[in-house]
Amino acid sequence: MVIHDSGGNHPEKPRESFISRYLFSTDHKTIGLQYLWLALLSVFVGMAMSLVMRIHLAWPEMHIPFLSALGSSPERYATLPVLHGSLMVFLVLTAAPQLGFGNYFLPLQIGAREMAFPGLNLFSLWTTVVSLFGITSAFLIAPQAGITLWIVSVSVFCAATLSSALNFTVTTIDLRAKGMTLPRLPLTVWAWFINAILGMLVFSILLAACLCLLSDRFFSTHFFSAVDFPASPPANVAPGASPVLWQRLFWFFAQAEVYIAMLPCFGIVSHLIATFSRRPVWRERLVVLALCGVGLVGFCVWGQHMFSSGLNPFSPLVFSVLAASLGLPATILLVSWFAALWNARFQLNTSLLFALGFVSLFLSGGISGLFLARHDFTSASVTEDFVTGHFHLVMGVAATFAILAALFFWFPKLFGRRLNEPLGKLHFWLTFAGVYAVFMPMHWLGLGSHVANNPGANLAAIRSWIGPARSFITAGIVITVFAQAVFLFNFLWSLFFGDRVEEHNPWRATTLEWSMASPPPRHDFGAPGPVVYRGAYAFAVPGVAQDYIPQHVAPDRVVKAN
Amino acid sequence: MPGATATPDVEVIVEDARGGGGGGGRPPDGGDGGDDGDYGKGWQREPPSPRRFSTGIAIAMVSILMFFMALASAFLLLHHSSRVWVAVHLPRILWANTAVLMGSGFVLERSRLRLSNGDARGFRKLWLVATVMGLLFVAGQLVAWRQLVAEGVYIASDQASSFFYIFTGAHGVHLLGGVAALLFVLLRNFEKSQISMSLAAEITSYYWHFMDGLWIFLFALLYLGR
Repeated sequence: MVIHDSGGNHPEKPRESFISRYLFSTDHKTIGLQYLWLALLSVFVGMAMSLVMRIHLAWPEMHIPFLSALGSSPERYATLPVLHGSLMVFLVLTAAPQLGFGNYFLPLQIGAREMAFPGLNLFSLWTTVVSLFGITSAFLIAPQAGITLWIVSVSVFCAATLSSALNFTVTTIDLRAKGMTLPRLPLTVWAWFINAILGMLVFSILLAACLCLLSDRFFSTHFFSAVDFPASPPANVAPGASPVLWQRLFWFFAQAEVYIAMLPCFGIVSHLIATFSRRPVWRERLVVLALCGVGLVGFCVWGQHMFSSGLNPFSPLVFSVLAASLGLPATILLVSWFAALWNARFQLNTSLLFALGFVSLFLSGGISGLFLARHDFTSASVTEDFVTGHFHLVMGVAATFAILAALFFWFPKLFGRRLNEPLGKLHFWLTFAGVYAVFMPMHWLGLGSHVANNPGANLAAIRSWIGPARSFITAGIVITVFAQAVFLFNFLWSLFFGDRVEEHNPWRATTLEWSMASPPPRHDFGAPGPVVYRGAYAFAVPGVAQDYIPQHVAPDRVVKAN
Repeated sequence: MPGATATPDVEVIVEDARGGGGGGGRPPDGGDGGDDGDYGKGWQREPPSPRRFSTGIAIAMVSILMFFMALASAFLLLHHSSRVWVAVHLPRILWANTAVLMGSGFVLERSRLRLSNGDARGFRKLWLVATVMGLLFVAGQLVAWRQLVAEGVYIASDQASSFFYIFTGAHGVHLLGGVAALLFVLLRNFEKSQISMSLAAEITSYYWHFMDGLWIFLFALLYLGR
């Protein structure tokens, strides 16, 4: 575990052993970093899985050294999308922006010294490790046992997320520093907070669903039995067993999970755009309301995944309207970002580039989302390629861009060094071009097979480009995955040899974490604790010498402009 | 001053709040009364306010409620859509169990009243009674399971019985957590703790009453869903 040694800040403190310092440390910073390492590991495993999937789709006969030895049954291929999805969604998109950066920076940004329940935090970290281990090893064992192991691991992950969501919520409510009123919270903290509340609610539902599923598998109850036998239910299946039940419970969770992945990214991107454009956030209160709106509506739109599953005829319309009404908070956020960027004199560093990449991907993914929110469109057999392209753009890749933006922004605080900028920009442009080359053609594939269902469609013409399009996507994904080597190299190299950051606040940012050394000392703010005097985005305040005022600087210490 | 190497325009206003090489090392004043592990180390600030425990239990209760609501909605959905719903014959002892659990909540409140009147011995005695009643409830639930098994009703028999076992099992596990909390309040030495005995008793009682109400809800659901 490569965590920068900050022991020098406390010469009087005896050095802790490796185990108590890294494995069982209750320090929120250590735990946050460990989540980031877990996410880094998972993202590369998940990417390898997607690579295998696409290679199999485009060139089915290709021999892949290690995997071919496992035997390539259809079940094993079918496990790939499940495991790719669960690794990416749970251990990358849920873990990195919320649990990783959140654990590290939420206490620092609100001026708390620790999370509310440090022991519980350690518990959630290690249950997450267990579930990562379970999810990855589910791939290597026999399919049926693998599915059981997968469900158990997901339940364990639910428990981990629930306990850390509890921690986040209580920390934000009760542990804020003196003067840190709710309107003064940085938008990142707002996003983490709302997200934790949303997580509290929906992960309980997934846990209940997993419990019923496990009971079906272990005690042969019949909550969802019909799911396993869509073609011909065997004699022992209870007559009332209902796959719709599973769909309801699962999508109640899973649709909200999309916003669980996105909310912290919204917070991070708003924060970064304000900091780099040196302007206060446009209509900050409205943006906070928009974040709440995303959480609230995200909690209510589960039905839009079930348009084709026989709901009450009125409900598709309701869910359709609800899903489309997500456009309102999304528009507020977009307008706020563009308003901050408009005519601003920003420095286009890698962090901001990734934040802008997020905006671009969110916008293009969101537009295809508007199509999918229409219930008549979705029930009209748009094939999975369109949906895959849509949610990878808007959720998977966009969130990854926000994570990378946050990493480039906070790397100096995390490790006291900078990531290499030219390498970062190279990585950005390769990835940015790569993901569009991969996921845009997927939309066309989806629409193409939709058209092919029409009577009188020119099937020959459609077939003639579907094969090459698949190969193009696969070539794109190979290039994109290998472009990540640039990032991995940059990350590991900068960890040891990056430019040292001597100053506390290299970005001239306003929030509390920049008031302390990089990396922060073991006990964060020390004895008296910080006092907060103003909101989080005091940029370009008239009559002040600098273009920003940190939150912790007392009003009488602010230097006036002459 | 740590900000000294900052860019020239920064040091003007960035006044490090704490001064001194980042961490302002006051010497540890040697184990001040051995607090709960993480917070008891000399030079740090006071542990955060114990209010976090009440907030925490409130939020945990919302989450637990959501868990049971998901199960309840599954129950209602399957009950509604199923053509052949074989109802479970609910054992009589469940009524007695319910009475015991409600009684336990009542005794718990009497016990807290004793504590607020300064009668620590009476508090412990009644608190112990409430705990034993909680354990009695769990034992009674197990008896109900035994009776159903004796009737040949197993968890996999039909959907109604699956829900009966899942509801009572999940509630029982959560209730055992409550029993553990009750015992914790009884056995813990609060002189060295971050949290006072009355606050611990109060928070535990919230959870206990919540378990009480949750059971009545589940029981009503099972009873009306016959």
